[in-house]
Amino acid sequence: MIGRLFKIIFLVIFFLLIVSMIVVLNTPKTASIKTQDGKTFPDTTNLRQLNGELVNPLEFTEGKILVNIWASWCITCLVEHPFLEKISQEYPDLKLVGINYKDTISKANNYLERNGDPFMYSIFDNTGSFALKLGVTGAPETFLIIDGVIVEHRIGEVNRVIWEQDFEVFF
Amino acid sequence: MKYFFSLILLLTLICQTSQLYEGLSDKQLERLEHISENIRCPKCSYGNINSSNAQISRDLKEEIAQLIIEGYQDDDIFEIMEDRYGNYINLQTKPKDNLVLYLLPLAILVISILFVTIYTIKKPK
Amino acid sequence: METINFDFFGNAFLTCSLLGAFYTLISSFRDNSTKSYKNTSFVIFFGLFSACCYLSYQFVTDNFSYLYVASNSNLLLPTFYKVSALWSAHEGSFLLMIMLLALANYINNLVLVPSRNLVISNQVVSSILVLYLIFLITSSNPFYLLNPAPLNGADLNPLLQDPLLVIHPPLIFTGYVFYAATFSFVLSALINGFTKDIFNTLKIWAGVSWFTLTMGIFLGSIWAYYELGWGGYWFWDPVENVSLMPWIAGTAFTHSLIFSREKTLEIWMVFLGIITFLLSIFGSFVVRSGILNSVHTFAADPTRGIFLLGIFAIFSVLSFYIFFTRSNLVKTSWPKFMSKNYLVLLNNIILMSILFIVLIGTLYPIILEAFTSNKLSIGPSYFSNLISPLVIALLLIFTMEQFLKQGFRKLIVFAALIIILSLIVQQFILKDVYAYLVISGIILLALMARAFFELLKTKSIKMPHKILGHISVVILTFAVIFNHNFSQNLDLRISPGENISAIGTNLKFDSIDVIAESNFDGVKALFLVDDVFDLAPEKRIYKVGGQITSETSIESTLFHDYLIVLGDRFPDGSWSISFSRKSGMIWIWVSSFLLMISIFYGTIRRI
Repeated sequence: MIGRLFKIIFLVIFFLLIVSMIVVLNTPKTASIKTQDGKTFPDTTNLRQLNGELVNPLEFTEGKILVNIWASWCITCLVEHPFLEKISQEYPDLKLVGINYKDTISKANNYLERNGDPFMYSIFDNTGSFALKLGVTGAPETFLIIDGVIVEHRIGEVNRVIWEQDFEVFF
Repeated sequence: MKYFFSLILLLTLICQTSQLYEGLSDKQLERLEHISENIRCPKCSYGNINSSNAQISRDLKEEIAQLIIEGYQDDDIFEIMEDRYGNYINLQTKPKDNLVLYLLPLAILVISILFVTIYTIKKPK
Repeated sequence: METINFDFFGNAFLTCSLLGAFYTLISSFRDNSTKSYKNTSFVIFFGLFSACCYLSYQFVTDNFSYLYVASNSNLLLPTFYKVSALWSAHEGSFLLMIMLLALANYINNLVLVPSRNLVISNQVVSSILVLYLIFLITSSNPFYLLNPAPLNGADLNPLLQDPLLVIHPPLIFTGYVFYAATFSFVLSALINGFTKDIFNTLKIWAGVSWFTLTMGIFLGSIWAYYELGWGGYWFWDPVENVSLMPWIAGTAFTHSLIFSREKTLEIWMVFLGIITFLLSIFGSFVVRSGILNSVHTFAADPTRGIFLLGIFAIFSVLSFYIFFTRSNLVKTSWPKFMSKNYLVLLNNIILMSILFIVLIGTLYPIILEAFTSNKLSIGPSYFSNLISPLVIALLLIFTMEQFLKQGFRKLIVFAALIIILSLIVQQFILKDVYAYLVISGIILLALMARAFFELLKTKSIKMPHKILGHISVVILTFAVIFNHNFSQNLDLRISPGENISAIGTNLKFDSIDVIAESNFDGVKALFLVDDVFDLAPEKRIYKVGGQITSETSIESTLFHDYLIVLGDRFPDGSWSISFSRKSGMIWIWVSSFLLMISIFYGTIRRI
């Protein structure tokens, strides 16, 4: 009696294990932390641009904005850069905002001069404190903000494939 | 090319903050260590921010030190971190929220000890 | 245009082994005789051995036309690591693992007298070999040729460029495949009956596999401590857990041989033998399928995962079919209450509970995420909170077993006394110390005192491996808790030439210099601790791939280890460092080593 019960319990557990492992195998792995989708964009008062001017906080509460975290020391950013240029041409209504992360003003300006500047604003965040509040874990990262709410957060490079898969639906 | 970049990064890495958790008392330093031990490094596959070289880990530790100075309690700090990165960031598994995970092994242990003991008393060799 | 072809010789070796394994499988089922497979098993082993040597040769001669060589080696790599690069990725390490299994099988056929048991063992092992080889050849083939060959290879992962990591993975695999050999004899015991012979074979294989796996895990810990360099030696990383699970089951299995030899609960011993093996295949599946994010995992490929899961499912179904159909035929008797065997059985139950905790702690979050896309965070605290009391219970049980002659009532009084005494000491004398530390300390004293009196009285110790093994487990527990209780860590900012007092020491930053080696460049700092010893942490950039690594410098003293990790350089020339004191590290290593010695002696003393 107990033997049969044991057998049945055992078979059920084994069956569940195999099924769940098959499901696990077919589930794409997600980034190790939660992305920032659905959160409101943090307070942007007192943010300065690369040229030293303050940014108008209202700029971030209306319309569609693509925020890209980049740095001159970041190699993937350099790879990603031409694609951002293309996006700025393809979507003239989209505001592209760059957040220069843990960098120096001169290196950042050099980088933009050499590789082109797709950004409407380039915010200078050399301590990374604003990026930290935003939930950034490194560079590059890209946020799509619609009316002040983050609708898409990409950790790592954005390219054509990723854009079509995750970003295009919002346009 | 990549190597060259890294070389520059290594030799001229610039960190603008002038303090490495200055202004913390011994008690507060202990709290800082305790919290850092239990915050997962968001950039790594595994491990806490104390045992990681990633820039973000150091930034987070610094931020936690700042929050401690500002008078936040441990629970508040964990909450701030969970709010930003999701509860996966917190390495502490609270028994309250995962009762099954804690009780199931104990239940199995107790039941099998009882089972074996009853049998050994009933049908000894 | 780049093309990819099969390499002839490598695949020929593999096919030759596959045919050998296939032949063994078929012929052992066909005739009923107890003939030996000495020659066939040699052919299987030799084919795989040649394949390994052949691939190693390509590594040493920098033949980058081999895809596997091109992706795991480099011209600048020291020759020593070129050899070990063979098992640095999935394909090569799997090849090595199968080779070791074939070796175990060959040894069996060489040493053992042909018998019904050996035939069953051959059937089981060769079916494992056939499946593994088909898997290797079809979906993890290390013998692909690139045309044209690249001029240089991608580098070997710098974390793997360490002598300890050269031997750690093969030992773990050896442990796994030896458990496959053990498994084959467990099944033959179930089919042919529990004879004295089979117990002798089982005892040796159980001991050898247990020893190898212990050593593999031990070296992995040492590597984590010295190479990862954050002062941790066990992280409850899913991959570590996966290698720990067969070890725990194997520990229970080895102990279960004690009572099953005396015709008690043989079926339980068989069950443990089966799950130890299944857990080791499951381990391969988890690590190699890429379902985990971990430092250990190999590159992912979904078909591999399905294949390995399939192998796991096949062996589970087959072995449990045999288990359930045969288990009704085996008469099971139970041990007497509070006898030695009863206590060993309790030890088994506690070990299985620990195994279960590790299992659900590792798998539950992965499964939950797949079904609900919620991420559940299971950290080290979950494991340590649940497992520590169980380990203390284990220690109490095997200590009680030592005092079994004194009678049941006295034992209960004895256990209660230990706990009460510990609580008193902890509450009133050592307030800052964990209660577990005090309990394990008192248990240690009790065990040592007993061994000492036995030595005084009879001038010798009965079963010294058992006494030593148990004492070293207590020392290990004590050292681990001690480490947890007294370790400290401090982040400092310090300039060259500066003196700082930290964690009870005087730390002086002496100098910092640029260094250059054949495969990396970097900086090396020099610190003086209390003017007694120096620490020289490094930061390196590997020339290929540009990875930056920190080389921790560690100085061990009798009670504390001192560690420095070099952080960043500030503009004013000062550096951030992480300075820690880790307590009792030496004792963790020494006790683990003693444990291995006792396992080793316990295994060979009857051969």
